[in-house]
Parts: sequence; structure tokens; C-alpha cells
Amino acid sequence: MVKLPPMDYAAIMPLLILFGAACLGVLIEAFVPRRARNITQLLFSLAAVIAAMVFVVKRAGNVTAANAITAGGAITIDKAALFLQGSLLVLAFVSLLIFGERTLEQGGAFVAQAAVTVGSEKDKEQAAKSLGSTEVYPLALFSLAGMLLFVAANDLLTMFVALEVFSLPLYLLCALARRKRLLSQEAALKYFLLGAYASAFFLFGVALVYGYAKAVDFASIHTAAAVGAGNITLLITGLGLLAIGLLFKVAAAPFHVWTPDVYQGAPTPVTAFMAACTKAAAFGGLIRVLYVGFDGLGWQFTPVLGAIAALTVMVGAVLAVTQTDLKRLLAYSSVANAGYLLIGVLAGGQLGLQSVLFYLVAYGLTVIAAFALITLVRDADGEATHLSRWAGLGARSPLFAGIFTFLLLAFAGIPLTSGFMAKLSVFGAAVDGGQTWLVIFGVISSIILAFPYLRVVVMMWLSEPGESTPSVSLPGVLTSTALGVGTIATLVLGVAPGLLLDLADKAAAFIR
Amino acid sequence: MLSNLWLLIAIPAASAAVLLLAGRKADRWGHWLGVLAPAASFVLGLIAFFGLRDLPGRAAEQTLWTFFKSGDMTIDFGLLFDPLTAVFVLLITGVGSLIHLYAVGYMAHDEGRRRFFGYFNLFVAAMLLLVLGNNYVMLYLGWEGVGLASYLLISFWYNRPSAATAGKKAFLMNRVGDAGFAIAIFLMLAQLGTVNYNQVFSQVGALTTGTVLVLGLLLLLGACGKSGQFPLQAWLPDAMEGPTPVSALIHAATMVTAGVYLIARSNPIFSANSTLQLIVVSVGALTLLMGCIIGAAKDDIKRVLAWSTVSQIGYMFLGVGLGGGAYALAIIHLLAHGFFKANMFLGAGSVMHGMQDQVDIRRFGGLAKYMKITWLTFMMGWLAIIGLPPLSGFFTKEPIIAAAFEQHDAWKSWVFGGAALLGAGLTAFYMTRLFVLTFHGPKRWTDGQHPHESPAVMWIPLVLLAIGSVVAGGLMASPVAKWLEPPLPAAPAEEVHGVLGHTAITVLSLVLTVLGAGLAWALFRRGTALEPQPAGPVVRAARANLYTDAFNEAVFEKPGSWLTRALVYVDNKGIDGVVNGLAALVGGGSGRLRRLQTGFVRSYALSMLAGGVLVLGALLAVRLG
Amino acid sequence: MSAVQTGEIITFFILAPLAVIGALGMVLARNAVHSALWLILTMLSLGVFYIVQAGPFIGMVQIIVYTGAIMMLFLFVLMLVGRDASDSVIETLRGQKVVGTLLGVGLAGLMATGIYQATRDYTVVGLEAANKDGNVQGLAKLIFTNYVFAFEVTSALLITAAVGAMILAHQEKSGVKAVGQVAKMRERFLPGNYPGPKPGPGVFATSNSVATPAKLPDGNPSQRSISPILPTRELTAAEKADKPTLTGGA
Repeated sequence: MVKLPPMDYAAIMPLLILFGAACLGVLIEAFVPRRARNITQLLFSLAAVIAAMVFVVKRAGNVTAANAITAGGAITIDKAALFLQGSLLVLAFVSLLIFGERTLEQGGAFVAQAAVTVGSEKDKEQAAKSLGSTEVYPLALFSLAGMLLFVAANDLLTMFVALEVFSLPLYLLCALARRKRLLSQEAALKYFLLGAYASAFFLFGVALVYGYAKAVDFASIHTAAAVGAGNITLLITGLGLLAIGLLFKVAAAPFHVWTPDVYQGAPTPVTAFMAACTKAAAFGGLIRVLYVGFDGLGWQFTPVLGAIAALTVMVGAVLAVTQTDLKRLLAYSSVANAGYLLIGVLAGGQLGLQSVLFYLVAYGLTVIAAFALITLVRDADGEATHLSRWAGLGARSPLFAGIFTFLLLAFAGIPLTSGFMAKLSVFGAAVDGGQTWLVIFGVISSIILAFPYLRVVVMMWLSEPGESTPSVSLPGVLTSTALGVGTIATLVLGVAPGLLLDLADKAAAFIR
Repeated sequence: MLSNLWLLIAIPAASAAVLLLAGRKADRWGHWLGVLAPAASFVLGLIAFFGLRDLPGRAAEQTLWTFFKSGDMTIDFGLLFDPLTAVFVLLITGVGSLIHLYAVGYMAHDEGRRRFFGYFNLFVAAMLLLVLGNNYVMLYLGWEGVGLASYLLISFWYNRPSAATAGKKAFLMNRVGDAGFAIAIFLMLAQLGTVNYNQVFSQVGALTTGTVLVLGLLLLLGACGKSGQFPLQAWLPDAMEGPTPVSALIHAATMVTAGVYLIARSNPIFSANSTLQLIVVSVGALTLLMGCIIGAAKDDIKRVLAWSTVSQIGYMFLGVGLGGGAYALAIIHLLAHGFFKANMFLGAGSVMHGMQDQVDIRRFGGLAKYMKITWLTFMMGWLAIIGLPPLSGFFTKEPIIAAAFEQHDAWKSWVFGGAALLGAGLTAFYMTRLFVLTFHGPKRWTDGQHPHESPAVMWIPLVLLAIGSVVAGGLMASPVAKWLEPPLPAAPAEEVHGVLGHTAITVLSLVLTVLGAGLAWALFRRGTALEPQPAGPVVRAARANLYTDAFNEAVFEKPGSWLTRALVYVDNKGIDGVVNGLAALVGGGSGRLRRLQTGFVRSYALSMLAGGVLVLGALLAVRLG
Repeated sequence: MSAVQTGEIITFFILAPLAVIGALGMVLARNAVHSALWLILTMLSLGVFYIVQAGPFIGMVQIIVYTGAIMMLFLFVLMLVGRDASDSVIETLRGQKVVGTLLGVGLAGLMATGIYQATRDYTVVGLEAANKDGNVQGLAKLIFTNYVFAFEVTSALLITAAVGAMILAHQEKSGVKAVGQVAKMRERFLPGNYPGPKPGPGVFATSNSVATPAKLPDGNPSQRSISPILPTRELTAAEKADKPTLTGGA
């Protein structure tokens, strides 16, 4: 008689809530009248995220080594998982606010019917008038639920399923931009094809690891690697393939190639969601694999991952210098940031883990605010993302130009912003962990990267607004909230990061 | 006051925020708020200064909150007010207030005056943060802040392309220095686990010689970037594209001396390694000569002053590099220099104000009659910088030259003392040239000039600064030296007998000064040609900044831009982009061009595959190899 | 049972080359339908491998679901969309194929070396334990105990796919205004409109594609004969030329 394994429902409640809410969201599409759908879906999704957050917080108090692993060993709800889940929920909450914005553009940032031929009469009509599709909310919830599962997965198989669950909705979301639809569809297709390609590597890796360890859960892999029986080449090969799949998601060079195209093409709210949440989830998964499953093999993979980290920070920074589109610029900056995070991952130990956790939250909030601001600068054809269009924005709208300047300074790691604190903690941890050479690369890269950021600042403040300088739309309450939260968090985490650092410190422990 | 040190920083910071965010409403009163903020900080600084005298340890430390805590590493948001900080606070806020006042008049006709004062206050706040911090991270915080403010102010007149370029140049060169400083901080964290001044200094002895050397060199790189010392000096003269009050406050009196502050503050590190000190001294000596030589060949009034700043900071580096009692000498020279250089910059601004923004000294001449106050105040600055007794330069520069002669090794005494002495003569030459060409001799004005004296709001600061230039040196020299220890080491009790006696050095330097000044007077008394004259190789080299810019371009800029271009090429166009790009150029099919821009997914997949092969290959190589 | 038996070896050496040939054929075939068929060959071979390796369930699933259902669906779609051999398979990126091939071979070589190194002296264990209660039962037990959560979560994947297919492909009918017969007739005879029925597409001995325009009496293609959304198929010179029967020539 096969019995269902015991389920700790209190622990997996956030997951259940999100999956359930996503399914209900699909039904809302069917039964709620079109005019009321956006507000219904938005409130419903936000409520689901809050409910999930409540359970995460409630759970945080009573995590023990005994009750962490549940669902037949498929899920570990340890402190690190809870921290990541909590961060993901917060970041997603803020991103969803931008999803819901409808005052900037009639019908919001999403296309009403993605199937309408681009450029046709019908397309022009729907771009101007129709309400945007609201399926984006259940899709985002599915994705979010997948991310929550991804960071808590205790075996590689669950991890793979979670990877697909959170990726598939993202591919779809990328295709739904209201403006510049060809670019958006192209982005989605590229992301999908390359994502599938990377998944194949991951899956092959799982198979090889299983071949060695005869199991796919991290504890068994850890034990098998520690015993080191037989020929561990199989394990190493498997790890290499797993790493390729994960490095694709975190956008590390040379697996970053999709990032600029996808970030540029995707609807900006989705870009914000991806930049913040996908990065957090992917790094959550990566550190779990490396710290929990393969921690015994550090000396094998550290040089290779170190080379990748060094390459990533350099490639991201150097290529950002010549970008002329703001979304592409931020995409390359996100590549470089993936490199800084990798440096933190390689630092190892409690300190490295803590710094990565802190970095993910700090960077996520800043990047959401930055993309929220990009949605505001627009002309008749939608967002004006070309750099030259931002010239003289400081004269048109000092407040928003000021906020964007502040966010860019945070990206550049200027003190008194969260970006500085995040880089300081990551680099500090890396020096502590004996990876000084990576820190040198990191510092050089951040110096190069400061240049494109400052160029934008100078353009905004020290140029005359020209004919083509678009106006800054007044954001609705949703975007304002997202922008405000992101900006204030950037400031607070830069001035008094102690609270979050403490939290990350307490959370920096995995349970095997 | 000593328990509320944060107010010193908070007042100008708050004022900057108000000025930048208030919008046009504040245009009418904004500049006065901008003047009041540093003045208020000055008053508070004075109160703190007098409070400090009676304090037993003569240092007030205050932790506002814990900035950063991870593991056993703690970085506090902490402030430290000790004698060294005190003199800097008074210099920044005192001279700063006067320059702010001057700027009210100077910028009166500029639309962006409110914005200007916003940035200016921001600078003051950041500079105060720099000197008030009690650890290196706080110092770095202010360091970046002043860099940002200076960048914004240099490119303030953005519609001049040269201003924008100069801003960029300043930014990039400073970043090179900042990188050194940042890595130094990480090194401290790694080796000592702390960045707090006291804790770092007490543990310096435990570090290996090599570590101290590396740490010191990294700090020196940061200091050279900020202070315009060799090899990162090129940005400072270009930075004169900013409004003149900016040149006076940031690029003469305060920010550029941050490097000197950094080294003086870190004196236990620098004193711990004699190689390090030798390097600092060499940088100082080399830069001071370079500044003099280039300064003598320039015709732009602000650039001459800028190169003179480079050269004078070279003296200060020489001082801090000599170690021991010379630290205090460097700081005293820094203070005096703050007065007379600010005075001369503001004087130059006053001349430009009266001459419709003309900066070419070949186009001045005979201005003494038309701008009496400017002439007199500028003369005080000129006499002070060339070190004529009893003006301040004499009391502050002379001891540095003497100290350079009093080293244990005779060759060092001759080389560095000689350089300092030669520098004194050259300084007298180029400063006299500047003074004579500007205020005396025949008029060589362009048409339509009607020089006139500047308004009171501009000449009052000039007069106050001129008084400072005259008396500061004599008044400060010995009390400040005493005041500055303990943070700086005391002069050693036993005298090192130099290769030359004190009197001999003083006489020699006075003779050289008079010679230099006299030569310049004789040469330029009757004015100068309006066209560049054919000249020997030395002068040509000096006109071209001794070819350092060309060197930088060839060695750093070109390879950097090639690398960037190459990388972009590979990324945008895939592995085969080169061939394809050529084909597109030749064939010119528009469809193909469009496809080139979008990037092919199969190219992307290929690069991922290549990455995968490399990752696997490397892992297996580690494993099997 | 775990020892490799002769029959298994023979099966392997017959089917393994077939599987590889199928895979290569899929990549190299110019025609999408051929590619799909090659892929079916590979999948069938893999299915047999699974069965031979004592995994009958996965083997059957491979054949029924992948080969039977998914690939058939694939072929349907290909047929429906229309297979057009003019879809260029010529590589426009110079070097792409060469580098791709080299890297592919390199990856395969690396993996093969690594796996061969690692598994050379392996003894295979655990098959009896896994198939103790029967293969299907063993699998079911795993799916509904250790991996039940992952199994349930795959439903999210399916819902996402369904929603995705719908939003990417579904078009709502725009409300068609009811127009009276009279108005319609008026519109039809407005100046500039062609009131008669449009000619059908060209039907030639060499081509019966709907994209081939019919020829007008003067030999020029008629643009009315093809749908405006279809790209016109360019006629070759031979097709354009009048047939010998028309010109009366030899």
C-alpha cells in the first residue's frame, strides 16, 4: 500500500496559495466582465502575494532542522529558502503594481490580442484603444510560484520542474508588449529557444549526477561526493551541465547573449519582473546547488566559475559602454551584476551567502524602480528608450530625472545607496573567502560601468531639451508606489542596511 | 557641539537638497541660502574647535549608527573630530563661505545660479564628510561625493563642448585613483578586519612589509587621482572649464588637497615603510617641477594657476612623504595655500568678470589702474606664493624645502632638496610672468573692452582672503604644528644635520626667488607677443603639457577603445560578424543589414555552446589533468 | 538479470546506428516533414532501448506519446501550415555551420570521454530493487510519494501552456456591423471596385500552389487571382514563357 508522504502544509502554504490563485486567475478571465478584469485580477494577485507572504513570515519563526524537509523530501523550507521566498514575494508585489498601471497608456503595457497580425489595421486599432490582456496576472503568478518552488527545491528533479514552471510563463509574457510588437515577439521566441536549449543541458546534467549518486536529492549527492567512491568524473560532468542551465538563467557570460534582446523587447513591467525576480530565483537555485549539493567539490568548480564571473563582470561592463538604448544598457548592467553576485557566491561560507542574499534584494528593488521610471518617459509611440531622447530630461522634469539619477548612482555603487552596500558586502566577503583576484576584476568592472551610468546622468541634466525630448507622463498611483518603494529602499538600504543584513545573516543557513 | 558633529554635514546637505528640489520658486533667495549654509557650518566648526581645546584627549568620536555589520566585521557611520579634522573643517567652511559669497556676484547673470549653489553646497557637505569620518569607508563616501560634485560643476557650462570633455576626463582619471583606494579598503578589511582609523593604525605593525607597501601604494594612487599628482595630473588643468568659484574652492583650496589629507591621516601606514615614503617624495618632487615648467608656458590665466596648484600640491606631497615633523609642515602649507590660491583664483575671476571672460594673459596688460582692489589683493597672493617674507608662503614653503634637505641619505637631500629649491625659483618666474602680463605693461586688449572693478560682494571676499594670504603663514606656522600632534607625529627631538644649514637654504631660496621674479619682470615688463613664438624643445614640450596627454592617449585610451570596439563587434555580430559585416557593406542588402542588427538566435546558441564546451573542458581538465 | 545479455547487445548495435542516423537526418533534411519522420525513427529506437533495459513503461510511453501523439500532431501542423520547400535552409552566416559542427563534435567528444572514463569499471546495481513490484508499480510509487509535489506542479505547466496557446493564437471576432443588402450592392458597384468574381489561382503543369497567379490573356500574371495576404510566387522564366502549343512552335 503506497501512502502519500506527510505534507507540512504550513510550510508549503505559500506555494499552494500562489498556484491556487494562478488557477483561479485563469477562471477569473472566463467569468469577470472585461472592463472589471484588470482591477479584479490585480487586487486578487496582490492579495495572493500578501497571503503567501503572511505564511512565509509566520513560518520564519519556527524553522528547525527537523521540520524543514517536507513533501517526501522534495522541498526544503529552511531559513535561506524562506528569505528568498520572502524577497521574491516583495519584489513580485512591487512589479505587479507596474503590471497593473493603466493611466500611462490606454489599456496598459500589454497587447489585447497577441494573435493579431502586427502592423495590420486591426493592430493599430487595438494598440490605440483596446484594453490590455489580463492573462498576464495568472501567468505572473504561475511564474512566481515556480520561483518559490525553485529556491526551495530539495532535489534536482523538483528543481527542473520548477525551472520550467517559472520559465514558460516568462516566455509568454515577453511576447505581449503593446508597442513594438515585432521586437517583443522576437524576444519571446529567442528567449524560448535558448531557454529550451539551456534546459536540455540542465536535464542532461541531472541524469549524469543521478548516474553517480544514484539519487537526485542534495543530501545524497553531498554524501556521495563526500564519500567519493568510484570515478567522480561523472559527477563533475553532471555539475558542469547543471551549471550551464543555471548560468543561463542568471545571465552569466557567455550564456548572457539573450539578455539584451529580451530585456529590450519584453514589455517593461515584465522586464522589471525578470530583472528582479528571475535573478533572485536563479541565484537562489544556484547557491542551493553549489552550497548544499556540491559543497564538497568547491576546489573543482571554483576556478571555472571564477573565470566565468570575471568574464561576466567585464563583458557586461564593457558592452554597456556603447549601448544607446536604456533598456539594453540596463540589460548589460544586469549581466555585470550577475557577475558581482557570482563573485559573492564564490566567496563561500556564511559571509558569502549573506552578501548574496542582501545583494539580490537591494539590486531587485533598485532595478524595478529604474524600469518603472522608464515606463514614464514616453511619446506617441510608447516608451522612448533611446538614450538621445532622454537628453535634457532634467529640465523637463527635475523630480523624475533626480530619482533616475539616484538610481543610476546606486547601480554605479556610489556610497549612501544600496548599490554601494551590496557591492561592499559581496566584495568584502570575496576577499574574506580568498578570492581577491575576483574582487579586482569586480572593482575594475564597476569603474568601467560607472561611465555609461554617468553619461546618462550628464545627458539628462546637462543638455538642453530638444524637440524630440519626450515628456514624462505623470504616473498613476500604482507606478508611483512601485517607484517610491524602490527608491526609498535604495536609499534606506544604503544608509542603514543593518536590518536587512542582520536578517540575511540569520537566514544564511541551508538545511541539508 | 562636539556631541552633534553631524550638524556640520547636515546643514549644507539639507540646503543642497532644498536648492536642487525647490525648483524655480527658490531662484530669488536660493543663493543666499547657499551662502548661509557653509557659514553656519563655519560657526559650528569654530564652536567645536574651541570645545576641542579643553577636551582631555583632544578628539571627539561619535558613532551615529552601525552602517554595516557582517560576521565580526563592523563598519560604523562614525565621526571623528580631532585637531587634524578641525583645521580642515575650518578651512573648508571658512574659505568656502567666502567663495560662496563671491559666487553670488560672479554667477549673478547665470540662469543656473540656484542649481550651481545646490551643487556647491553638496560639495561642501561631501567634503566635510570626507574629513569628519572616523574610518576609511566614511572617507571613501565623502571621496566619491566630492568627485561627483566636482564632475557636475566642471561640466556646469555644458554647452561648451570643452567643459563636457573636461568633466569626462576628470571623472575617468579620478576613477582610476578611486579604484586604487577602493581596493586598499578591501585589502584592509581582508588583512585587518577593520577600517576604523585607530584600529587600523594600531595593527599596522603586525602587517608584513610587502602588505604595507601595497596598501600604501594603493592609497597613494587614490591620493594622486584626487590631488592631480603624477601620473594622474592631466585632469586638473582641464577642470578649469568650470566656473571660477569652482576652481577656487574645489580645484585649489579644498578637494584637491584631499589626497594630502588621506596621506596625512594614514601617516602610521606611510611612516611604517621607507620605500613607500621615498615613492611619495618622488611623486611630489616630480610633480612640483612638472607643474612649474608647464605653468611657465601657458597663456590661459586659469590654467597657469591650475598648474601652479599641481605644483604646490607637489610640495605638500613632498612634505607628507618626508614623514616625521614634515607632515605638519605639509598641512600648514596646505592651509596657507588654501588662502592665497583661492585669493588668486577669485582675483582671476574678477579680472575675467571685468574683461568679458577673456582668459588669455597675452590679451591683458595695464589692468592695475582699472581694477585697484583686484590688483592689490592679487599682488598679496602673488607675493605669498613666491615666498617673499613675511608673507605666508615664506613661513610654510621654506620649512618644507629645509626638511627636504634634512634627510639621512645625502643623495636624497641633494635630489629632493634641490628639486624643491629649483621649484621655488621657477614658481617665482611663472607667477611673476602671470602677474606682470596681467596687471602691468602695455594694454593688449581686444577691441571693446571696458575693464571695471567688480561689485562689493565680490571684492569683500577678495580682501578677506588677501589678508589671510598675508598673515596666515606667520600666525599659523608654529602654533598649528603643535596643535596637530598627536594625530600627526611630532618632529623628532634629535636634529638631522642636513647637507646645508638652515640659513644657507633660506638665503639660497630667496636668491633664486628674486632671480626668477626679476627675470620674469625683465622679460615681460614690456608685454609679450600676441602670437605663439617659435621656441626650443623645452618650451614646446611644456606647452604640450610635457606630452603627458599624448602619452595617456597612446597608452591607455586607444587600446581601451579598441578593446571595447572589438568586444562589441564580436557580441553584436556573432562569431562570423567580421565576414558578414564586410558582406553587408559590399552587398548592401537592406534586409541583410536589418538582420545584422537584430542578432541571430543561432549565433547566440553557438556562443552558448562554445561556453558549454569551455566549461566542461575546463572542469574535465581540472579533473583529469 | 542485470548482466548485459547477448540479445540486448545485438539490439543495441542494430538500433544505435539507426538512432544516430535518424538524429542526423532530422538536422540535415531540407524538408520539414522529412525531418519529423527522421525524428520518429530516433524516438522509436530510443523506445526500444528503454524496453530492452527493463524499463517497459517508459519505453511504451516513449512510443505511444512521443512518436504516436506528439510527432503526429507535429506532422499535422506542418501539413496545415503548408510545407514550402522555398523556405531557405541556406546558412547566411559564414562559418556558422563549420563552427557549430566543430563545437558540437567537441561537446560530444568531451561528454563521451568523460562518461566513458567514469563508467568503464561500473557495476550496475539496483535494477532488481527498483523493479521489485513490477516496473509500473515502482514508478507509480515514486511518482506518488517522493515526487508527488513535482508531479502535481507539472499541471501548472500544462495550464500555462494552454493559456499561452490561447493568448498567442486566439483572435476574438470583431463585431461585424450588419449591413443591408442594398448598401452592400451599392458598395460593390462603387467606382474603383471590381464587381465581378475574382479569377482563381493559376493551375499549371508545374505548380498548383494557391500562391501562383493566374495568367491574363496577354500572358501577364493577374494580381486579382491570389489572396493579398499571400506572397506572390515568382514564376520562373520557363513558366512565364508561353507554351509551345500556344506559339505554334516546335
